[in-house]
Amino acid sequence: MAIITVSRGSYSMGKAVAEQTARRLGYRLISREVLLDASSRFNVPEIKLERAIHDAPGILDRYRHSRQSYVAYIRSALVERVVDDNVVYHGLAGHLLLKGLPHVLKVRINADMERRIAVVMERDGIPAEEARHRIEEDDRQRRKWTQTLYGQDPWDASLYDLTICIDHLSVENAVDFICQAAATEGFKTTEKNRQKVSDMAIACRVKAALVDEFPNVSVTCEYGNVLVYTGTGSDHGSGKLARKIDRVRETVEGVFHIEIHSGVAAPEEAV
Amino acid sequence: MSIIIISSDIAETEAMIAGAIAEEKGYALLDRRVLHAAANRYGVKPERLNDALERRPSLLRRLPPRQWRYYLACIEAEVLDRLLADNIICRDVGAHLYVNGVSHAMKIRVLAGKQACREAAEREGGSLEKAEKQRSRINRRRTAWSMAAYQKDEADPAGYDLVVSLDQIDPVEAVRTIVGASAYRKFQSMTYSTKCLTDLALAAQVRAALLKSMSDMQVQARDGSVVVTTRALNRRKRETVEAIKQLAGQIPGVGYVEVHVRNHIFGKVG
Repeated sequence: MAIITVSRGSYSMGKAVAEQTARRLGYRLISREVLLDASSRFNVPEIKLERAIHDAPGILDRYRHSRQSYVAYIRSALVERVVDDNVVYHGLAGHLLLKGLPHVLKVRINADMERRIAVVMERDGIPAEEARHRIEEDDRQRRKWTQTLYGQDPWDASLYDLTICIDHLSVENAVDFICQAAATEGFKTTEKNRQKVSDMAIACRVKAALVDEFPNVSVTCEYGNVLVYTGTGSDHGSGKLARKIDRVRETVEGVFHIEIHSGVAAPEEAV
Repeated sequence: MSIIIISSDIAETEAMIAGAIAEEKGYALLDRRVLHAAANRYGVKPERLNDALERRPSLLRRLPPRQWRYYLACIEAEVLDRLLADNIICRDVGAHLYVNGVSHAMKIRVLAGKQACREAAEREGGSLEKAEKQRSRINRRRTAWSMAAYQKDEADPAGYDLVVSLDQIDPVEAVRTIVGASAYRKFQSMTYSTKCLTDLALAAQVRAALLKSMSDMQVQARDGSVVVTTRALNRRKRETVEAIKQLAGQIPGVGYVEVHVRNHIFGKVG
């Protein structure tokens, strides 16, 4: 009983590892479904969501907050999907979007550049140089995206519980490691962990409802009691936010009580 | 029949995991105690070898770059020689940086996680923030050392077969996983992988012998044939080649020595 995220560079066999892990453990496998959910729930074209989570932010993104909104929608859709547990997610940024949940087994699959190039060459029938350029560009976008939004390097092993180098091992070996780790005590779903996911789902719903108009708010939730942190930014003391919160209280499912905390730094686990 | 090389961001964690695996598998443990044997073999002080593993060259500490390279070469030669015995757990001698291309040498990095910082903070009576800063300072120093010595960042996960974080995974489980993985066919010694290790060990011995009196040496070995690449002034080329051939030829196992000498431009200018 666990939630497993499989992160990988492009063409690094991560998909195959995720699929086999899900099959062996009898877990649900999710990836693109999250984008489809977010697209239909928040009425945003899927392509825009995909770009928001894949491409690195450009200069104009500093002035408009659509990317933050899209990431909040995707996060909300993902958390809703993992509430029921027993899931393997192999989409983008799972380890970051589910940050703060203790029973999530975060796995990274790395592959040697030459091996990745060979995969692209065979798949797309293109020369080695073009394949290398494509992979490097993809890696650069991933690195920039993670650095900009989370201030971290996706290649940093400390972000993951297991980092597996697939060059030296087979897909089956990697699956063995993951299944063994998933069965350990630290990743078992306890009642407390289940409550944490439910609370995170509510916090994400509230954040998604607010993010368009108030991109800088952070949200926490504990047993349905929601705290909205405005920091010291422009949302501070805003009557508009209070009115919006009133609407959120009535429309967002699971909210028992909601409060605004102005001028206070948001805790680390806030979404 | 395999070699397991353990590295960690915290020395205590590394020792604990390596010890547990050695016990579980009944393998010998190779760690800094080997420095005494290396010191005896090459006639240097063990403290100097220990210093070379800890620090980068520094004239203030009376560890000039040439000497530092020689000490590291002595350690490499001794460690690689010991690894030939197989069934060994190796830690704390930088082997994860120089045992390359040997498929039955499984390289594992264990990340101690935040819990280790919390324990350090409690032990020293300081704050968690202070303990984290201290650890990141040590890690930066280790990275600088590994880059200077082997042009590799020892924290780079690409250098390992598996990186395990102990944040959520219990050390006992981590040990179980590593022990299980070591039984994979991929990590069993084969004729070819043993030959690769033998070649590495021979190259390291030749390099250590040459660096005692010379500098700037690259050595490769294959089936007893050794290729040495170095730099020398044009007018000293001949005597350099002679000296290298004579020194390398004395190492047991060396059958043929080929020397490539490039022109030492800066020496010429000087």
